[in-house]
Order: sequence, then C-alpha cells, then structure tokens
Amino acid sequence: MNNNKVELDQQLSETVGKPLINGTPKITCRDVNVFYNQDSQAIFDVNVDLAKNQILAMIGPSGCGKSTLLRCLNRMNDTIDGCSITGKISLDGEDIYSNDIDPVLLRAKVGMVFQKPNPFPKSIYDNVAYGPRLHGIATNNSELDDVVEESLIKAGLWKETKDRLNKPGTGLSGGQQQRLCIARTIAVRPDVILMDEPTSALDPIATATIEELMHELKSSYTIAVVTHSMQQAARISDRCSYFHLGRLVEVNDTNIVFTNPEHELTENYITGRFG
Amino acid sequence: MNNIEIVQKGLKKRYAKERRFKAYGVFSIIISLSFLAFLLFDIALKAAPAFTQTYIKLDIDFSHKVLRINEKSSYTKDELFELPYHKLPSKSLYQLFPGIENRKQKKALRKLVSSGVRYNLRNMVIKNSKLIGTSKSIWVLADDDIDSLVKGLIDRNIPEADRRVKDFQIAWIDKLQLENRVESRFNINFFTSGDSREPEQAGILGALKGSLYTMLITLLLSFPIGVAAAVYLEEFAHKNNWLVDMIEVNINNLAAVPSIVFGILGLAVYINLFGVPRSAPLAGGLVLGLMTLPIIIITTRAAIKSVPPSIREAALGLGASKMQVIIHHVLPLSMPGILTGSIIGMAQALGETAPLLMIGMVAFVADIPQGFFDPSTVLPVQIYIWSDSPERSFIALTSAAIIMLLVFLFLMNLLAIILRKKFETRW
Amino acid sequence: MLNIGQHISQEYNDELEDLRNQVLSMGGLVEQQFSDASNALLNGTINIAQRVTELDYQVNAMEVAIDEGCAQIIAKRQPTAIDLRNIFTVIKVVTDLERMGDESEKIAKFASELSADTNSMGFYKNLKHMTFIAKKMLTDALDCYARLDAKKALEVSNMDAEIDAEFEILNRLLSTYLLEDTKNIESILKVTWCARSIERVGDHAKNICEYIVYVVYGKDIRHVIDGKLQDDK
Repeated sequence: MNNNKVELDQQLSETVGKPLINGTPKITCRDVNVFYNQDSQAIFDVNVDLAKNQILAMIGPSGCGKSTLLRCLNRMNDTIDGCSITGKISLDGEDIYSNDIDPVLLRAKVGMVFQKPNPFPKSIYDNVAYGPRLHGIATNNSELDDVVEESLIKAGLWKETKDRLNKPGTGLSGGQQQRLCIARTIAVRPDVILMDEPTSALDPIATATIEELMHELKSSYTIAVVTHSMQQAARISDRCSYFHLGRLVEVNDTNIVFTNPEHELTENYITGRFG
Repeated sequence: MNNIEIVQKGLKKRYAKERRFKAYGVFSIIISLSFLAFLLFDIALKAAPAFTQTYIKLDIDFSHKVLRINEKSSYTKDELFELPYHKLPSKSLYQLFPGIENRKQKKALRKLVSSGVRYNLRNMVIKNSKLIGTSKSIWVLADDDIDSLVKGLIDRNIPEADRRVKDFQIAWIDKLQLENRVESRFNINFFTSGDSREPEQAGILGALKGSLYTMLITLLLSFPIGVAAAVYLEEFAHKNNWLVDMIEVNINNLAAVPSIVFGILGLAVYINLFGVPRSAPLAGGLVLGLMTLPIIIITTRAAIKSVPPSIREAALGLGASKMQVIIHHVLPLSMPGILTGSIIGMAQALGETAPLLMIGMVAFVADIPQGFFDPSTVLPVQIYIWSDSPERSFIALTSAAIIMLLVFLFLMNLLAIILRKKFETRW
Repeated sequence: MLNIGQHISQEYNDELEDLRNQVLSMGGLVEQQFSDASNALLNGTINIAQRVTELDYQVNAMEVAIDEGCAQIIAKRQPTAIDLRNIFTVIKVVTDLERMGDESEKIAKFASELSADTNSMGFYKNLKHMTFIAKKMLTDALDCYARLDAKKALEVSNMDAEIDAEFEILNRLLSTYLLEDTKNIESILKVTWCARSIERVGDHAKNICEYIVYVVYGKDIRHVIDGKLQDDK
C-alpha cells in the first residue's frame, strides 16, 4: 500500500507534455500547492501556463483538484475557511496573491461561470447590469443599456431576450440561463473567463450552443474550462490538461492529448479504462 | 403460487393499512379543529354581551339651583369642574319614581345608572356651558347589574336573596322599559376607554395601546439586533471556533429559557439599574425584545442558510464585496423567512404575561397610555386582570378582550403573509 | 503493450477484441490466398489457383464487415488515444489486406494461364526468392500485428527494400529475355505482372508494419527516413 503510494508519487512527480508555453502567457501557475485546513492537500506543485485567446480544458476524475485550481485563478477559494495556497499565480505577470491585489478587482478581470446556471432572481436586464453597476463601468443609463445589449449580443442571447429584458432571468430555459450568466460575466469586461463545468446541467443542444459561444468568445478572452466530458474538452479546447489526485499529470495541445497522450494515466482516463 | 399472486394476496391488507393511516390523520385534524371551533364558539358566545350596553333615558335638569351655581355670562373651567354633577341623574330618577323614602331603596334607585354618568355629564357641561339652566333628555349608561338584567343574564326566578338585583329594581326597570326609556346600544365605550373597576365603564383601548407601544419597542430592539447578529454568525464568523460555538449554544439555550426569567432580569437590570420607568411600555418592550431576540436570530440564520450558495458565488464571481453580496442578495432573498420568524417571535411576545408581571405591568391602569413612558398594561395582562375581577360583567369583557387579542394576532399574521408574498421570489 | 481490455465498459472490450480477431482471421485468409497463389505459380498447380478466387469473396466480405464494425465503434464510443489509433489502423490494415488478396488473385490468374505455356517455366524460377521474402513479410507483419510488436514491425518493414531490389534485378533479367526471346513476349510480360504483384504484396505488408508502429508509438512513420525514426524511439 505504502509502496504503491510512493510509486504513484514518482509516477506523478512531473507534468509531462508542454505545461509551459513559448511567448507571453496570460496566466502562469508556478509550484502551486493548495491546502484545506492545513492537513489535507488538494493540489501538489502545479505548473501550467494559460495562453492568451486560447481555451485550456481541465479534465480528470472527481476530486482531482481541477475545480480547486480553477477557483484559485480568481481567488474564489479565499471565501472558503481554512483554504491556503503556496506558490505563485500571475495574471499578466502580476502575482494575484500579492497584498496589493484586491480580490474584488481581480474578479472583475477574471470572471467566472458556474456549473449550475445561477442567474439572480431579478430581471434579465438587472442580471447583466449588476456587474457594471457594481464597478461603476457605465456612468449613465444609456451607457448601461449599451453594455447590456453588447453583452447579450456577445452571449448570443440578444435576439431571444430583447423583447423581455424586464422578465425574470430565472424564467429562461437552462441553456439560456447559462448564456445569461456568461453575458453577466462579460458585461464586466474581464480578460479571462473561468468556467466550472458550464454545461453539466444542460441538454446536448444547449451544450452545443454554449460550446459554439465559447469558440466565439475565444477571440476576445482567455478561457479556462473544467469539464467532466472528455468529448467536450476535445471539441472546444486548444490545450488540454489532465489532473489526477491533485497533480497535473499532462498538459498538451488537445490534438495530441486525444490521439497520443504521453502519460499512461491520461491515456487510461481518456480511453475509459480503470486506472 | 407465483410472485404476482403473493403480491396480490398482501395487497388488500396493504391498502387497508394505508386507509387506516390516512384516517388517523383526518381524525386528528377533526379533533383539533373541533377543539378550536369549540373554544372560539365559547369565547364568542361569552363575549357577545360585552359588545352591547344598556342605556337609560333620563330627563336631566341642568338648573342653577341643582348645580348650585350663580347665573353668570361665562364660567371658568375650574368652576365647572367642581359642580355636584352626581346629583343630576339622582334627581332625575327621584322624579321618575316619586314616593320612595326608604334610604336603602333610594340608594338602589341611584345605582340604576353607572357611577360614571356624572363624569359624562361634567364633560358635556364643560364642553357646552350653555346647558346650564336648561333641561334635556339624555341617554345615560346603566349600571352593570342592570345591564345584565336587561340582557337577560340574571334569572328572575331565583330567590331574591340570591340575586344581585332586587325585586323592586326589577319593577323599576320594567316600568322604564314600558316607557321606552331603556335601550341597548353598541358598546363604543369598550373601544374608547381604559380599564375601570366598573365593568360598564371598562374598555380595552388602554391595553391595546399599551400592547402596541410595547410591540414597537420590542420590534425596534430585537429586529435590527437579531438580524445583525444572525448575519454576522452566518456570514462572517469562523466556523469551528469555540467562541462562536459557545455563542451559538447560548443563543439556542436562551430561546428555551422560561419567560419569567426575562422578567426578573428586566426588573433587576432595566428598572433597578437603569431606572427605566416601571409599568411602562419601554420596560415591557425591552424585556420582551430580549425574549424575542434568540427567536429572531435562530429563524434569520435558518433563512440566510437557505439562500443557495450559487447566488453568493455568482455575485462574488462578478467582483461583489462580501457586504454587497449580503445587502444585494442574501438579505433580500432571506427576507420572507426573516419576516416570518420575526413576526412569529413578536406574536409570541404579544401573548406573553409572565415577564410583564415582574416589571409591574400588571397594575391597574385606568388612563390610556400616551407614550412609551406612561404606565400601561397589555392585552394578555388585561385579560388576566379582568378574569380575576368579581363582577359578573367582567366575564363577557374577558372574552371580548381575548377576541381582541386574537384579532391583533390575526392582523400580525396577515401582515406576515403579505410581507412574505411581497418579498418572495420565484426560482 | 496494447491492452484492449480494462475498459470500464466490458462491452467495449468485447467489441474491440472481436474486431481484432476478425482482422487476424482475415489476415489468415489473405496469407492462405497468397500462399496458394504463389504455389500455383511456382508449381503450376491450377486447382489451387481456383481456390484463391473463392477465398477472395470471403476476404472482400470480411473487409466490408470489419469496416462496418469500425464505423459502429466510432459512432458509439468516440474512441480516443490508443483506441482511436487502433480503430484507425484496423481500417487501414483491412484495406491493405484486401489489396493483397486482389494481388494474389491476379497472380493466381496469371499462374493458370502460364501453366499452359511450358516454355515459360524457366522464367519463374527467378520469382521464387522474391515470393519467399514477400510471404515472410506478410506472415511476420500479421504476427507483429497480433502481438503489436513495433520493434519487429520496423525490421519487417525494412525487408521491403530487399524485395524492391529483387524486383529491380528481375525487371532487368526479364527485359533481356524480352529482347532475346521475342516469341514468348506474352509469357514474359505475364511473369513481369506477377513480379509486380508480389512486389505490391511486399509494399502492403510494409504498410501494415508502419501502422503497427503508429498504434504503439502514436507516430506516423510513413514517408520518413527510417534511421531518424529509430533514433527517436
């Protein structure tokens, strides 16, 4: 048993593939370790780069730490009691955990879309306008209208909702709700969008529209997406990372990961074998 | 025997069991409903006489001679205040029943009308001094025993010695009735005056206003403090901290502390230490507020807990600060629950008597309180006082007061439902 | 190396295993075909030549069946990584096997025609060595596929150079025959066609070996210089 663990540690000691990219990455993670309540470690020595205007998919079995890492990227883990992080995560070369970075400001730059569509129980308009109002992005009502319209257009929801902006956002279908959440996120004009299993609660058609939307958003934003669907990761991502027991096992171009992964664990996972 | 047959065999028994199970529930509901209906019916029946009052028409002679005042063009208020008004109804009654010389009977005759009539007449004269020197027919309040007699609550067939109303009094009333000088009217008095030793003059307004003021103090004290404490405990306090755990345990215990303990606490701290006026709504409200606080904290925490974490995450993810998350989302979404809990707590406080006994709110207070510092009583205490009074008419008044308390509670619950509907959001 | 099993879905395992067995049995048939055809050619046994044509029907039917199986697995399972390469290779291998079957049929046809011509006997002695190498390549390639032995597959694929060289020599020899013996031009041409077919069988066997390397290493070694690849692995 102990032997197995040592073996696994050795097996997982270093990330294979191409975790670091040439050129200037948007986000870099260096030696990131995440602990819950001191005694349990969720993430071990993760090194990875996110390239600008690319989608990085994070896959792996449940409890592998992919969501934890995603939440570290906009310091959502700060809200969890007893969660601490070592190592360095930088956005555009700036350490996001340094003291001069305000998490509120960071989250305006790094938006997040969640697993379950979670529109506020307010009107569609107010949902999208919430972020801009919060940060004072729009100074008057007509500017706010413009921001809302632009965000809804970008999220591909304008046509469906322009006649009922005052209706509650919770009255939309699941897929529309998730697009509303994406519109709400991009209304704050972030650089990076983090998505935590954005389609796991949606039907295949709604999933397809979200995936198409992600593809379109890629040209303006850097996207990191955690997904349980390997096919989805294969379809949408430029680069794909595989996590196992808190370690980043492999990162590479999605084409390579899905045809010829380097690590046996990655291979076992994506081909559906027991590890 | 195959599977289906085995299942079928037991099926009948199973359905019978199910029907019995349902019947138990229906039976329980019927039992409790009938208890409630009986109670309400009984109270309503008992309270009914309290809503009407008997009036007797007297020809009052406001002559200078009777009032013992010299004729003047105008009178000062003090002058008018001092006049012997008690003689006015007596004189009128003597005229109606001439030839009664027996002192005892004369006294009985005077007591046909309420002792409060003189004050009513005084008020009339002070209001309009031109009445002096004139004569006028006026409907005056009958005494409570006469009132009972007219309402038929006193059985004329029982022996005279066991009756509060003597035969000659019955004869007078019969005569007055024949002359159309007796009338039953709606009891406005009940809603407009404070407590009195005389049942026909006693009203609920004092207690009602006392309750209102007390509840206002209770609300102002317990709602903001309770909600703020709950928000802190739920949103900011660290979990797994022994101090927080202790506070939690204590709050839960506080909710279970007998209410009389709060009364003792109020007496010791508010009245003796801080010098809050005794018997005042302020003291009562502070004590009841203390009692309501844990209930509001507990229900508010439950309401805050029921706000889905996804909403918090959504707001945090957009860059809202913790306070913004709470003010914009958590509190509005938990408001229906908070309001319901608060109003339930308030309703409980409204019906509370024990702690108020300790701070002197059980005193006899005839004046209607005009503010938070005036001595006053509250509805449940008023019920307690009246139920303890010997006069027969207080039975009806007690029931009427209970109905008022129930109406007050009903209105509060209605408010709770309305607020809940107003703030409720559909998911 | 290749663990078809161990999928969470046992049915998937079975489907892949089944597909693999079908490919191997199809390979067996083609091997038989080629062996029969070459025996017919070298020994002039016509009755065997007819069997080659009959086998070809079976081989063609198997190709269709295996292709369909692959299409179904792709549609249902969306294979990735090793499974994807495996399925992809099956499709390719089957195509090459079918071509080899066709080539064998051609050889058998020429063999029965040539057997009537007693003069031509001398020509096909020269085919003997070439046939031997081609047969060995085919057998070894199928063997490598069965065991997914990429190292051996690389060696086998290098044998193709030998056949090519042999074919070159044979071509030159037959050209001189053509010049010398104008009466037997037709027979000599037929022998040339046979040589050509045998050379093609070698090429197909080489392809199969290359696919095996692709399955195992995930690298496409077609049209690359062999030496460079060996350095990599």
